[in-house]
Amino acid sequence: MIDSTEMVKKVFTQKSGRVDTNRGDEYYNSLFENAKNRLSTLREQEPLKDIDMMDVIESEGVNRRDFMKWVSATTATLMLPPMFAPLVAEATELMNRVPVIWLELQDCAGNTEALLRSSAPTVDDLLFDVLSLEFHHALMAGAGHDAEHQLDEAMEHFKDNYLLFVEGSIPMGMNGNYGTIGPSGETFHDHLQRISKHAAAVVAVGTCATFGGVPAASPNPTGAVGVMDIVKGKPIINIPACPANPANMVGVVLHYILTGQVPELDSLLRPKFAFGYRIHDNCERRAHFDAGEFVEEWGDVGAQNNWCLYKVGCKGPMTFNNCSIIRYNEGTNWPIGAGHGCIGCSEPDFWDKYAYQRPMASANIKAPTGGVEKTVDEFGLGLLTATTVGIGVHAVASAVAGKKSGEEGEDK
Amino acid sequence: MKTVDIVERIEGEARLNCTWENGFVKDTQIDFLNFRGFEYILEGKPALDALVYTPRICGICGQAHLKATVEALENIYKSLNEELVITNKAKILREIGLNIEIIDSHIKWFYMFILPDVIKLKENDLKEYSPLKGKRWLEACKTASETIKALAIIGGQWPHTSYMIPGGVVSDPTLLDLTSMMNYLDLAINFFEDSIAGVSFDKYLSFNSVDDLNILNEDLKYFTNLSFEYSLQKYGTSYDRHLALSDSSISKRGKIRQRLTDKLDLNKIKENCDRTFKVEEDSKNKEKHTWSKAVTYNSMFYETGPFSRAMVSHREFIYELHKSYKDSVFTRVMARVDEIAHLLHSTKELIKQVDISEESYIKPKISLKDIPKANAKSVVEACRGSLYHNVSIEKGIITKYDVITPTVWNLGPAIKDEKGVAQKAIIGSPSLDIAKIVLRSFDVCSVCTTH
Ligand code: SF4
Ligand code: SF4
Repeated sequence: MIDSTEMVKKVFTQKSGRVDTNRGDEYYNSLFENAKNRLSTLREQEPLKDIDMMDVIESEGVNRRDFMKWVSATTATLMLPPMFAPLVAEATELMNRVPVIWLELQDCAGNTEALLRSSAPTVDDLLFDVLSLEFHHALMAGAGHDAEHQLDEAMEHFKDNYLLFVEGSIPMGMNGNYGTIGPSGETFHDHLQRISKHAAAVVAVGTCATFGGVPAASPNPTGAVGVMDIVKGKPIINIPACPANPANMVGVVLHYILTGQVPELDSLLRPKFAFGYRIHDNCERRAHFDAGEFVEEWGDVGAQNNWCLYKVGCKGPMTFNNCSIIRYNEGTNWPIGAGHGCIGCSEPDFWDKYAYQRPMASANIKAPTGGVEKTVDEFGLGLLTATTVGIGVHAVASAVAGKKSGEEGEDK
Repeated sequence: MKTVDIVERIEGEARLNCTWENGFVKDTQIDFLNFRGFEYILEGKPALDALVYTPRICGICGQAHLKATVEALENIYKSLNEELVITNKAKILREIGLNIEIIDSHIKWFYMFILPDVIKLKENDLKEYSPLKGKRWLEACKTASETIKALAIIGGQWPHTSYMIPGGVVSDPTLLDLTSMMNYLDLAINFFEDSIAGVSFDKYLSFNSVDDLNILNEDLKYFTNLSFEYSLQKYGTSYDRHLALSDSSISKRGKIRQRLTDKLDLNKIKENCDRTFKVEEDSKNKEKHTWSKAVTYNSMFYETGPFSRAMVSHREFIYELHKSYKDSVFTRVMARVDEIAHLLHSTKELIKQVDISEESYIKPKISLKDIPKANAKSVVEACRGSLYHNVSIEKGIITKYDVITPTVWNLGPAIKDEKGVAQKAIIGSPSLDIAKIVLRSFDVCSVCTTH
């Protein structure tokens, strides 16, 4: 018998799965110029909210130095070279120029909850004070008919310019009647169609909105699907994970402000800056994996010494996401930090494929394409050119909509 | 006259239908129109997978579901006389996690969900309580975020943690971790003193009479004044029957009908679907109007939640308020806020009790796969009240999973002529605004109610 530890080690350590994002000086120089121009155009526009970012930051006791630290970290997160840092800082100040409408469909509100506890520097301020959240069902003051009205107004006023964030899946069974909204009883499906129609781009947040999520778990009683199965002819950005990391939501908005473009996406429409590499590539327990030191069962010596969780079911090697770097709750911790393996929650079908505690050894799943040398970058080759959105810009059909799973090479 | 309105700023939404007579609500019906079907999804899945699914029933009370699932699975061993040994440390860490989640939820509920509606009875401008920009609103949000970090330390993240497993917990906090957790809770205590109650923590915890209302300052005083101005101490009364299915660190199990008893029999819990839509059936049946089921104990409706917990455990301050103001909106809101203080206190005590040299997890001797057939239940006190899980498995595969959430107790529809708890409370409201506040006083969560 081959030593399985040895084999596994070989498979996963051959080559880093990290996506190579360096696109050359020429590209960055021109992007830099574009971004500069865009920011100055944006600056001339009336702010939607009369709030000054730097005031907010200072009044919250975050000093300039901390802010700049945050800026350089964010620049790196967005996979831009350091020269972009001043522009990222400027974009942060211009967040109040971008209107956001947030919809909750067939969800558990987990992403709203996650967003509520995002703060970087204190993004409570960043997002809430500065970003112009024009409509959010759970968070705004208005309710009932008031809320309806507010939504209509926001849609009209910011026609073709708002970013639409969607949380939750869309039930297609029973003519959409598993989920309705508003006094008129509009189905989630119709609601989403109506509101996405005039969005500049649609951002699907959380695994429900991206891939159908837990409601789509077999037998999928309500026929739940993700946004990209419904919305066509619009740029769509998927930010999966359960819950999605707020840092990535902020990242997408910043990138949009900075460049007027959707960030570079993989074949599953996930921004590469966040989903371009595997959990496993940056895991703090990776050295133990390489050394063949595994937790054999919870509470053992390995567990006490923070060894690798692969043998107790960690799906880090097949999961693309940046939570090993960004973590949750403002960097407080992440599942692997607390001794629990990754459950692959940002992958399509995670609910049926990776859900809890099927140790890899006995599970019928393999790492993508049997090895990690094939990164996300290669899965979606050709589909990944940045999509331009915004005022006066043609929308591009999402070429992969409908092919939502099975494409990333797992389970083959 | 009839009206239909939407109640938002809950998780999801609810539709409130009212019939009016002489300016008062004469009859009402609450519809929950969103459904995901968790119980169907759980069927046929490996038992341990439930640990991933059930917390995702709700992004706010996932801890409670996680704990309920873990304990239901552990109770399976118990039902076979193979009771698992769970170390004290694991038990405490679970309880701490649950408590922190409740604290977080209560703070947000007070500031984000109920207070704005109450303020709006009087003022057009919410000022510092305005969502997303008011100073107090942001402070409350921040406090909740800081508090929940204490849970992230042992749980890995929040929402949707998975650190509990049959046999214990996966996390092994260090002394430094425990100290950080204490610090986060102290932040919440400061907020409680400075902004919520406006009195010292110890003083607040010693409250035991209606007169203590006069000592309150800050937001609780503001809320109290507004309540009396708009008679919220009179509206929102229901059956005044209370149920707490489980013990918790701050309350006991038991029920109050005419009198208090701690004898509970889980077999007396019955669900009713007379008015509930059926899956796969695009029903035109007039009787059916919601995805929520109804639930009774011994054929009777009971209220559940922080207020009921305070009543069953005879918590002095709330017990006294109840004598004067019955099960009104005012008492119900006060009870939920009051629980924040008691939970903060007891959670700090629990953290002190963690013995890090103890084991976190002891492996079960038998695998669930090797159990031919079994069934077990569990009960947990969650943010909004009593949560009940009932699981049946065969060779490690779930054959049936039934969840009854706290909101189903409170917000479920009528059975025959008997009104549901919230329904009954809304009848008699003098305006739509008040009717909505009454509904909200139960801490409505649509995704929980229908799951
Ligand atoms: S993706 Fe996860 S957190 Fe989000 S709504 Fe779905 S189940 Fe909840
Ligand atoms: S814990 Fe998981 S992600 Fe980390 S090194 Fe081990 S297998 Fe990889």
